[in-house]
Amino acid sequence: MSAAVDLAIVGAGPAGMGAALEAARHGLRPVVLDEHGAPGGQIYRNIEGVTRDRPGDLAVLGADYGAGAALVAAFRAADIDYRPGSAVFEVGSGGLGVLSDGVARRLEAREIILATGAMERPVPQPGWTLPGVLSAGAAQTLLKASNLVPAGRVVVAGSGPLLFLLAWQLAEAGVDIAAILRTSPRGNLWRALPHALGLVGNPDVAKGLGWIRALKRRGIPFLEGVTALAAEGDDRVERVRYRRAGGETVLPADTLLLHEGVVPNPQLARASGAAHDFDAARGHLAARHDDWLQTSLDGVALAGDGLRIHGAKAAPALGRWAALGCLLRLGRLEAATAERGRAEARAEVARAARPQAFLHELYRVPDEPMTPRDDDTVVCRCEALTAGEIRRALALDVPGPNQLKAFLRAGMGPCQSRMCAPTVARMFAARDGRGVTEGDHFRLRPPVKPITVRELAEMQDLAAD
Amino acid sequence: MSDARFIVIGGGVVGAAISYGLARLGHPVTMIDGADDAFRASRANFGLVWVQSKGLGKPDYAAWSRRSAALYEDFRAELEDESGVDCAYHRPGGVTLALSDDELEEQVAILGQIRGEAPAGEFEFEVVERAQLDNMLPGLGPEVVGATYSAHDGETNSLFLLHALHGAFQRRGGAYVQGHHVTGIEAAAGGGYAVSTADGTVHTGDRVVVAAGLGNQELAARVGLEVPVRPVQGQVIVTERADPLLSMPTLNVKQTREGTFMLGASQAEVDYDITTDAAVLKRIAARNLRAFPFLSDLRVVRSWAGLRVMTPDGFPIYDQSPSHPGIFIATGHSGVTTAAAHAYVLADYFSKGEIGAELAGLSSARFHVQA
Repeated sequence: MSAAVDLAIVGAGPAGMGAALEAARHGLRPVVLDEHGAPGGQIYRNIEGVTRDRPGDLAVLGADYGAGAALVAAFRAADIDYRPGSAVFEVGSGGLGVLSDGVARRLEAREIILATGAMERPVPQPGWTLPGVLSAGAAQTLLKASNLVPAGRVVVAGSGPLLFLLAWQLAEAGVDIAAILRTSPRGNLWRALPHALGLVGNPDVAKGLGWIRALKRRGIPFLEGVTALAAEGDDRVERVRYRRAGGETVLPADTLLLHEGVVPNPQLARASGAAHDFDAARGHLAARHDDWLQTSLDGVALAGDGLRIHGAKAAPALGRWAALGCLLRLGRLEAATAERGRAEARAEVARAARPQAFLHELYRVPDEPMTPRDDDTVVCRCEALTAGEIRRALALDVPGPNQLKAFLRAGMGPCQSRMCAPTVARMFAARDGRGVTEGDHFRLRPPVKPITVRELAEMQDLAAD
Repeated sequence: MSDARFIVIGGGVVGAAISYGLARLGHPVTMIDGADDAFRASRANFGLVWVQSKGLGKPDYAAWSRRSAALYEDFRAELEDESGVDCAYHRPGGVTLALSDDELEEQVAILGQIRGEAPAGEFEFEVVERAQLDNMLPGLGPEVVGATYSAHDGETNSLFLLHALHGAFQRRGGAYVQGHHVTGIEAAAGGGYAVSTADGTVHTGDRVVVAAGLGNQELAARVGLEVPVRPVQGQVIVTERADPLLSMPTLNVKQTREGTFMLGASQAEVDYDITTDAAVLKRIAARNLRAFPFLSDLRVVRSWAGLRVMTPDGFPIYDQSPSHPGIFIATGHSGVTTAAAHAYVLADYFSKGEIGAELAGLSSARFHVQA
């Protein structure tokens, strides 16, 4: 069995890099595990490759993307045990399971920081499983990593700032965007306005408005207040149907890009057994944590958007904050030093995340698409289970999601309930006429990343049993 | 008296099978189930309807398992009719693979003894040599020396079985309440019993069935029955779907109708712990790869740990309270195999108010310490 490392960080996005840099600055060499081949996370995906091989595209991808280059360069230069291509498939107090190059290993670690970022909020729409319908994030990843853009008529639908960023990026890359369908209810703006104080002149908000202006200048139709969105077609998406101002419209489309904002990616933290609560205001699960961002598990902390959506600019500071807690618990820092660092990080997070409350209210997802009315809408993609099938099982008064999983196989597929858990939770709450709770979400079973039977059978560095 | 009102404590596969059986005899039944996060052996099950190797030294239990297996196809069809859920039971026979001559010898000795303890002709098994085994199961590893085969054995999807039982029970008019933790059973004023739950609800009935799995020990003690049960943890691995390969289940590897492979099974005394352990999962994966090397590149989708409801001798307990007549107990770890017998036979005994002589050897009297 190999000796335990002091600090293992999962994820080399802005939060993970921020945490690693802070540890290195205090003389601790952390292990950073990341499933991708290069640092940057989703937000700065392939930043080194783009900078090196197609610097002209930096203009397309925007100034924020380019800003990641400095962070990645500092990360590369620091004394960090960076292990790309390493997928963490299970985690618990005291260590984690890591898969790289087809070999699974157990890594014992005194402190662990999970910086696994955000994922797009899955919102089941009629027809969302048809080929040609993909998430805006997936389209963006293709653009960053492989310089691929969708062909034909593209309809973009949903809400959230990333939707406009992506639409702008695609338009800059020459994609034919037929329409942008905005699903956020108009009432959101009024709820959001109180949070807008102090945002006048905020560069991030100005930038968002800039994307929208640029898109409108291109003559791309912006349609507000869209409901009852549905993708239709035989073998792939051919049409997008929606309702607006009482009337129904059908648009021909070759690609439909969906996006309803981002939520913390809960998989690894949930599978670790760390306690979570449902954050009703934000509409997602959030890990319980102390003032050092440590979860209910000793020595397991969270940082970045995996904790709560604070955005990429706040993520490095959140990483530093979590790392300071680890250093303190490891006895590598004086309390006063750690607390001073935390105060600085906290102020930076507050500054960087200032637009978040406003954005959250502006783009709050209405309940309707989250609890599909149409019985034929697929909710669990892996098992092809529809809303109607789930409602029929709910009518048997099943006590909770884990029993539902048993009855229907909902949430049992390879995605490990990532896509259906938020919807199923809302369906339970709706049945019982109450708010969503943590208990409405599936229990998660390891592994959270694909590992083969052989890799598991040959797992190395396990404590002798 | 088919109008006797029953309260069944427990909504797992044991409680639900008995509840369904009572409801189909015309009894009004209330089934009280725990919360979604209760320890539920029914949801962690491997889904074998297994006879070979059951009941060594306890012929009553071996016979009870065979009886249930024999009833299972009718049971499956009836449940599908009533609930619309097919629990995927089939009975192609089952094999226990041996990875060494010693393992095979030991297995044959056990089955031989069970056959000897059974009435002539009631339990049969075959020793299958490697060459013959290759015609039954594809892709066996070189270390597999042979197997025992029994035509009594089969498999089901234990989760769908639970779904079907709940659906059929409610279809028969049974009342289901969930999220309740039972805190007391007392004689009710005016006859019958009152079952109270943590939230203050009281359910009254003429008779009570205690089928609360690991919760049985405490509940049974309140009515003068000694039911020593403890948790024995088992861990299971499930792979992604693959084309149909295995036409029959083996003790530790089976392929579901959906195409996933299930790999089991471990045994550990870890108290009330349902976290998986990487070292145990590694051992399960390694052992079953020796049996079926083709599993090698299949991706693991899920693993879990569940708690078996284990008695000191491993056999179930069926009893009626001597101090509180009309309160029955049913407990044990093979609730899936015995589900058909629970629904059709045990429920009938409870309806008549007396447990049949075939189960005399499974009363709790066997654990009484002689003074």
